[in-house]
Amino acid sequence: MENAIELTHVSKSFGRFKAVDDLSLQVPRGTMFGLLGPNGAGKTTTIRMIMNITAPDSGEIRILGRPMDRAMQDRIGYLPEERGLYRKMKVIDHLYFLAAIKEVSRDTARERIAAWLDKMELRPWLNKKVDELSKGMQQKIQFIATIVHDPEILILDEPFAGLDPINVALMRDYFLDFRARGKTIIFCTHVLEQAEKLCDEICLISRSKKILEGSLKELKRRDSEGLIRLSANATLAEIGGLPGVATAKAADGGFVISLAPGVDQREFLKRALDRFPIEAFSRREPDLEEIYLDAVKGAGLEETRTIE
Amino acid sequence: MNWKKIFAIVRREYLERVRTKAFWFATLLIPVLFLGYIAIQVAISRKTGGERKLVVLDPTGSLYAPLARELAETEARQKKEASGSRGPHWELEQHPVAGSLAETKEALRKQVLEKTINGYLVLDPALLQKEEVEYYSTTVSDFIALNQLQSAVNRVWMRQKMAARGLPPDLTAELEKSINLRPFKVTEKGTSEEKGAGILAALIFLVLMYSTFFMYGYQVMRGVIEEKSSRIVEIIIASVRPTELMLGKIIGIGLVGLTQYFAWSLVAMNLSLPAIATLLSGGGDLGVPRIPLSMLGYFMLFFLLGYFLYASIYTTIAAPFNTDQEAQQLAMIPMMLILSGFLFYPAVMNNPNGDVAVFFSIFPFTASLVMFFRTALSEPPLWQIALSIALLLTTTVALAWFAGRIYRVGILMYGKKPTIPEILRWARYSPGKAAQPEAKRAS
Repeated sequence: MENAIELTHVSKSFGRFKAVDDLSLQVPRGTMFGLLGPNGAGKTTTIRMIMNITAPDSGEIRILGRPMDRAMQDRIGYLPEERGLYRKMKVIDHLYFLAAIKEVSRDTARERIAAWLDKMELRPWLNKKVDELSKGMQQKIQFIATIVHDPEILILDEPFAGLDPINVALMRDYFLDFRARGKTIIFCTHVLEQAEKLCDEICLISRSKKILEGSLKELKRRDSEGLIRLSANATLAEIGGLPGVATAKAADGGFVISLAPGVDQREFLKRALDRFPIEAFSRREPDLEEIYLDAVKGAGLEETRTIE
Repeated sequence: MNWKKIFAIVRREYLERVRTKAFWFATLLIPVLFLGYIAIQVAISRKTGGERKLVVLDPTGSLYAPLARELAETEARQKKEASGSRGPHWELEQHPVAGSLAETKEALRKQVLEKTINGYLVLDPALLQKEEVEYYSTTVSDFIALNQLQSAVNRVWMRQKMAARGLPPDLTAELEKSINLRPFKVTEKGTSEEKGAGILAALIFLVLMYSTFFMYGYQVMRGVIEEKSSRIVEIIIASVRPTELMLGKIIGIGLVGLTQYFAWSLVAMNLSLPAIATLLSGGGDLGVPRIPLSMLGYFMLFFLLGYFLYASIYTTIAAPFNTDQEAQQLAMIPMMLILSGFLFYPAVMNNPNGDVAVFFSIFPFTASLVMFFRTALSEPPLWQIALSIALLLTTTVALAWFAGRIYRVGILMYGKKPTIPEILRWARYSPGKAAQPEAKRAS
């Protein structure tokens, strides 16, 4: 599959501070790609380099198979983390303005904006000043502005920040709809639960370095080796005391156990059945947070697990 | 440079400002204020008109009668010359010296304080020998009235001295006539009599240029900061280069300035300048000042050059900061520069081709105001105008370049207020390094 975005050994420093360190990643076309990591990991810098707002010190960035240039910028829709609108401007003027700086003709802009305004039921607010809109509505306006030029790639930096659950659900539908039309989305967040629900592929970065990447399904399967969900009439201490258990925690109305490497699941089940009655036993897929923590541990970066 | 995108920025900056009530308010209010100011000036000068009860202490006994006559004649003459303005009307009353002069003065002092009289004049012979008379009043700042009184006493005193030497009265009258110096301004295009209106127009234009530099420079600064504080700037520079955004903003706001000038000049052509001229001249024939086209041309030229220069400075200052307050401190720099360009106007007026005028009309940071004023007052050598423009252009381009570098980095810089050495370091970043360390972003 052709890649929408390709980064090859990209590095970027600010003075002595290395913001992005030798980052390579491929974003296949038509995927929802999660760029994940804690605050300050280098996500925004990476995105700004993709957007040509900042240039990398070294390495190469290719968008839709071509090096990044100005024309490319107009084929990407970018919703930055730091986003706002001109407060005193009328909603409709604002939308036309943001379309104009993407070189969308007035007629095209009028059609697309009208369609979105109807979809989002924002029509009554057309001639109001941005000031008078709720935060959720302002975010919707920003979203319209992000896609008014019908981009092939959408880059969303913390798109759900500050939204209520209803609007989160609404926005998520728009994003999924966008992907369903064969377009690519880079979804950038530090909230792993959100990414888990949406992303096909992820790249985890921490402290300027990539620590994990791949398709979410693949990662889950790979990590689920030795992970077991168990319901039993026992205490956590008893479970933890079983031979072959690396870690155990109470979760999901039972226990989640990760087995030490090389321990066979059937052997383990037999031993457990000898001790106490087992109500349920299943393999369990890890959630993204567990995968993340595991990867961080593996990369020797444990102290950065201050993920929110 | 993508001019289509720049045009979109210009359009927004222009329309959003021109559509505000504040813009039309300023556009209409400033001429009104200007006229109001002049009207108040005139009103104050007219207040010197009106009755003044003056008691004259005349121990000489010979000066009171001719002084009263002289003042009455002056008043009559003025009425004839300028029917519009009323000079002061003196009500004279002679007061005998009762007891000592000091005692009489003390009695009159009380009358002044009780406001039964406006003042009293002491024609003490001892002081007259030293060419002095004394005037006592609660207000001694009404120069028009005081001047009138002084010249009347002067003439009366002179006539008396002449008569004492035996000069015939007709010769005395002849001697009193003074020479009127009529200034003619010589230019390449010809010679015209300068009646003060040309200088007045030049001054008005200077004040206009000076205040618009402030107004629009400040608006550029506010605009840059607003884009940062409202967090829209990153959305925009995902489509437009920072330099284009900066240029579009400066051009857009500059056009607002030109629009305002246009509106003002419509008002001025029709109303204010002739009105001002008439008012100031006291109704006399100052002539409606015809603003020469060359003055308008130079005005536009130096306004634009100066505006771009100061706007670049204001952009540089605004970019690193998130609030007006943070930028306020550095905003002193362009303020002082604009102010110093203006403050030299008396020196330039005194000697438009003197060293001070020449220097500050070439020094780029004051050049726009001073050189405009010089061209309005005299004809500076062409090489000086050319040098001034060339230096202004070069400085503006250099500053715009510098501003662009600071701007590029600054607009993405949120969080803590950067120090000046930090800001200067940004200018050295290569275009590729134009963004802030993510770690520094406090959020």
